[in-house]
Amino acid sequence: MDEGPRLSRRSFVLRALTLVGGAIATVLVAPAVGFVTAPGWRSGRPVRFLSTSVAPTLRSNAWTAVGKLADFEVGVPTYILVDRPIVDGWAEETVPVGVQVVRQDEAEVAVFDPHCTHLGCPLAWSTGAGTFVCPCHGGSFNAAGEVLSGPPPRPMVRYETRVDAGEVLIGALPEGA
Amino acid sequence: MRRIGRWIDERLNISPLVAGFLDRPVPGNIGWFHTLGSATLFLLVVQIVTGIALSMAYVPSPGSAYQSVLYIDQTPFGDTVRGIHHWAAGLLVLFIGLHILRVFIWGAHRYPREITWLIGAALFFIVLGFAFTGYLLPWDQKAYWATVVGTNIAGSAPLIGGAVLEFLRGGDQLGAVTLARFYGIHIWVLPALLLILVGAHLFGVIRQGIAASPRRHALVADEPGLSRREAYEREYAAEKIAGKPFWKSLLKDAVVAAVLMVVVVALAMSQGAPLEPQADPNATNYVPRPEWYFLDLFQMLWYFTGDLEPLLIFLVFTFGAVVFLLVPFIDRGTARHPRQRPIAMGLTAVVVVAIVGLTYVGASATPAGVVKVPSTEGMTQEELSGLSTYNEQGCASCHQIRGLGGHTGPDLSRAGFRWEPADVRRQIVSPKDTRMPSYDELTQQQLDDLVTYLTSLK
Repeated sequence: MDEGPRLSRRSFVLRALTLVGGAIATVLVAPAVGFVTAPGWRSGRPVRFLSTSVAPTLRSNAWTAVGKLADFEVGVPTYILVDRPIVDGWAEETVPVGVQVVRQDEAEVAVFDPHCTHLGCPLAWSTGAGTFVCPCHGGSFNAAGEVLSGPPPRPMVRYETRVDAGEVLIGALPEGA
Repeated sequence: MRRIGRWIDERLNISPLVAGFLDRPVPGNIGWFHTLGSATLFLLVVQIVTGIALSMAYVPSPGSAYQSVLYIDQTPFGDTVRGIHHWAAGLLVLFIGLHILRVFIWGAHRYPREITWLIGAALFFIVLGFAFTGYLLPWDQKAYWATVVGTNIAGSAPLIGGAVLEFLRGGDQLGAVTLARFYGIHIWVLPALLLILVGAHLFGVIRQGIAASPRRHALVADEPGLSRREAYEREYAAEKIAGKPFWKSLLKDAVVAAVLMVVVVALAMSQGAPLEPQADPNATNYVPRPEWYFLDLFQMLWYFTGDLEPLLIFLVFTFGAVVFLLVPFIDRGTARHPRQRPIAMGLTAVVVVAIVGLTYVGASATPAGVVKVPSTEGMTQEELSGLSTYNEQGCASCHQIRGLGGHTGPDLSRAGFRWEPADVRRQIVSPKDTRMPSYDELTQQQLDDLVTYLTSLK
């Protein structure tokens, strides 16, 4: 039998087993973990110290018409369902996406995603109070999308917009919003 | 039957193991409160059996999930199985909570059972994970909106929040990928972790023996010079000598399991499992409410506002979770009887009252934005007109009157007692607080009546 600090045959075999087992486990687990966590790192978005909520809205980069600018009343939000081509995982389809259109003045228009920036609850326009009201924790926003009260940390999320020959078009939502 | 048993035993030699398990001595003062752990285990088994059955017809895709749940409900026994899964889930959260409370009050988390506590605490988080992921699967309104809120809360962690949210949703948006992930986590990842940890938890319980109910005075006299281990083993040996064989306590567990089974089946058959309309991402008037066991957390979010809110929430939740995990390393010492641990019991009471209180407030609070304050008897014509203006203008989204309405602005239940009519009028037309919109477009009559109504509240 071995004496002194030399490795015994038994511990050598056990150490080798640990090493081989560890290597096998790594090769097996690494792609599985990589695949499952891919959505968390694939977008390559810069890491922020303070995170914000993200609207659950199905995204589209297409420009979609929401209506004639002249048809919208200044300062009064109009809720519209716009058919947009979206990509939902493996499914590419055209689905209705709800937006709040608020004409700011003669030429300007803001189109908001109707989710509270606190935790994403659905915002509804309260005609009486003249505010967007969140039913979850009482957040409210004015017609310009600015926070009036409650916990929301930032203004309502705005779509990229442009007006083309009197027609209001919306594009993408800001990344990570 | 006996012959088959003997035939198997001759080959596998199981009977000594079974006898050792059933006849092992346990402390004598084990009572009904000790059945909370086995009740939790029983409910887990119920969830596994019904969950497997449900997976035979459920399809995790936004286009089919809701329809497959409707199909389950229309298949014979389908609504009962889904009902059992739903009601047992709620009871599971309740019983694991009570079990934790029992263990802490009895001081059973102390030396040498710290590892059993750690594993149990991990199991508690796994059960909450089951609840959170299971929620989304029916793809009804409650499922969709609870997941919107839940993933946003998880995503509020500093630094890693964004990645956590994208990991949970499978991207920015909530859709097909989210549902597939939640399904995978719910039926594969969490059950695998659950089985491993339940095994380890039970191994700990059997290996260490069941903790005796705490005594104010030890069975054996204190002997100086003994190590902690020696002192513990002497006392526990005395408990076992004064104790009884394990099988004697099994009947209580069976009674509790049977009662739970009857309750769950009765609830499932009489109430079924709730199902709201199919998830509508474009709903504008839906009021998201979590299941009762998340109401306390949901309600807590009322009390944090501002830019640092996500950080505060994260710190509070993380602090709570870490303290909970590390309980056996914080609450040390040898005196296990509740009366000898006034601080620990006081803090426990505070936590229990906070959880029950937040759940109650969350359950009874009317959601902001949709509240209408009702009229009361004896109101004048002007006051009634003022009240209808109050309701039309949506004042209740921020203000409370007799418990109805939001919390953002001051409570107006005693407005007439607190303020002069002129002040109330000024506050409505040109508010000092910038968070309140100015209602300067009301007619003179509307304004007069509103002020009359508000100042009539005393």
